[in-house]
Amino acid sequence: MVEDKDILERAAEVLKNEEIPPGPPQEVVEATISKLAEASEQPSTIQIGSRIRIRERLKAMNSLNKVAAAAVLLIVAGYAVGRLSAPRPPDIKELRAALEPAIRQDLLNELNQRLQASYVHLRDDLDRQYRQDMTRAAMQILAASNTVTNERLAALIESINEAQTQDRQWFAAALERVETNRRRDSTQLGNALATFVVETGDELQRTKRDVARALEDVLLDNPAPDLLRDDSDQE
Amino acid sequence: MIDWNTIIKEHGPGVWQTAYRLLGNDADAADCFQETFVSALRFSRRQRVRNFSALLARLATARAIDQLRRRFRRVQPTTDFDDCIGVESESPCPQEQAAQQELVAKVRQLIGELPPQEAQVFCLRYLNDMSYRQIAEQLSISTNSAGVLLHRARARLRESLKLSAQELE
Repeated sequence: MVEDKDILERAAEVLKNEEIPPGPPQEVVEATISKLAEASEQPSTIQIGSRIRIRERLKAMNSLNKVAAAAVLLIVAGYAVGRLSAPRPPDIKELRAALEPAIRQDLLNELNQRLQASYVHLRDDLDRQYRQDMTRAAMQILAASNTVTNERLAALIESINEAQTQDRQWFAAALERVETNRRRDSTQLGNALATFVVETGDELQRTKRDVARALEDVLLDNPAPDLLRDDSDQE
Repeated sequence: MIDWNTIIKEHGPGVWQTAYRLLGNDADAADCFQETFVSALRFSRRQRVRNFSALLARLATARAIDQLRRRFRRVQPTTDFDDCIGVESESPCPQEQAAQQELVAKVRQLIGELPPQEAQVFCLRYLNDMSYRQIAEQLSISTNSAGVLLHRARARLRESLKLSAQELE
């Protein structure tokens, strides 16, 4: 039951909400106005406002009855005369054959006119609809392309930022590595120099002692009186 | 003196919508439009019109239902451009659009097959959003009668739609 109700409600709703082209067309309005003007000129069959008295009405009915009775008699007489004098009933086939071409032609003409009118209207409607569809499609495509372009630009900017961030990080790491190497090298060089100085000092002392010992040995083997004397005098 | 130009200008779009919604094509809607205003002219000669909007809605619905009844009573199918004119491009799904078109055509046919007064009450209620009281005023019947007619119309339509759905299945 609910389903049936839904079908009916839905059907009525669909019919009510069906898209209706704006109207009426101007030519229909003009035709209606001319038809109304034409109908306005025809006399009204019902007279309003003229009050008929009962007596007059009864009189009228009396005379009307007489006229009606006479008419009935005339009709009956006419029918009898006609029935008796009529040679034979009209041939329906002949009548149809005589009328058919004219009716066909009329129908054809009317159909052609309606088809032409429908064609023109259909063409205009399709043209208008086509233009609307094209405009709508163009707007949708434009909006979609704008969206896609914006998305692509956003992705590009993001990738550029990411690449720059990576470059900066890489550069900072490289600088840090260089600095670390520099410090290590400096330390090593300092240590090497200190070692060198110490070793050089020791070596100098040793050389001095060796020289002094060698000189002493030489002097002991070949004494130089002046030199020895002077030294002893000084002591 | 009634200024029909003003009335057409003011109420013409509503009449057009009522006619087109029920008939579904320009040619029939144009005929119905003209017949509606001519009927309104004849009506205005007989009695004073207090509410042109409701009167025109009622007359347009009645004329459109007459045309629907004539249309679906024809034996031979005619060349039909209606489907072409009614083609819409905005529907998201072609299948859904086709189903809706089919449903609309079916409802039109079923309305054309209803008894005239029931069809009129159904259309005035569902398509023109008239209240029971307004429908009763327009059709010169009691509010209860309007309710009964609407109930019968709904029952018939529901039954026919159910049968159609079963046939499709």
